[in-house]
Amino acid sequence: MLALVKKQLKNHPALIPLFFFIGGGTAMSMIYLARLGLRNPDVCWDRKNNPEPWNKLSPTYQYKLFAVNMDYNKLEKNGPDF
Amino acid sequence: MQRKDLLCPTSGNKSRANHIAAFGHQRAKQRDRISFRYPNLHSSIMADAIESKIKNYRTAPFDSRFPNTNQTRNCFQNYLDFHRCNKALSEKDQDTSPCDWYQRVYKSICPSVWVNNWDEGIEGGSFAGRV
Repeated sequence: MLALVKKQLKNHPALIPLFFFIGGGTAMSMIYLARLGLRNPDVCWDRKNNPEPWNKLSPTYQYKLFAVNMDYNKLEKNGPDF
Repeated sequence: MQRKDLLCPTSGNKSRANHIAAFGHQRAKQRDRISFRYPNLHSSIMADAIESKIKNYRTAPFDSRFPNTNQTRNCFQNYLDFHRCNKALSEKDQDTSPCDWYQRVYKSICPSVWVNNWDEGIEGGSFAGRV
């Protein structure tokens, strides 16, 4: 199938940017979903062995790419220890 | 202390590994060391700090564990922490007033219907969370 695509591209080389843009868009979507599934502090995969993974993060952990109006370095743990 | 868990990997991502601290095992060790030498010191320092925080309470502060719009987990976590804190401090025979911080936070964020349902669940023994 790849040979067929290559042959068609040779006849219509203007279609090559199409592959880049669509492939790039797909890759970005998949990367975003993977980041959301694996790095998001709200997510728990293994309820038995690792029940609350968000509690293992430091109070200054920043998940968002752009943090506007929030200085993460000044944050501390809110509640008391017990 | 670190369990290499296949489904919840903590290695391989530098920024996250550098930030893993505080809430878990290390804090427990530090707490045990302090409370062994000065049995009442840690809890009284903590109680004063928390008392002033509770007195100046306006609303639930930003919690970096839950940065997104959906604050459901934030609400449930504070509810659980309130009951766990009560249980832990009363087992150690300490004053449970610092736990009121968690109560103020969950009362600010949680819908009252949920709180009522959970309270009924706790009284009746049908509450699903681990307290």
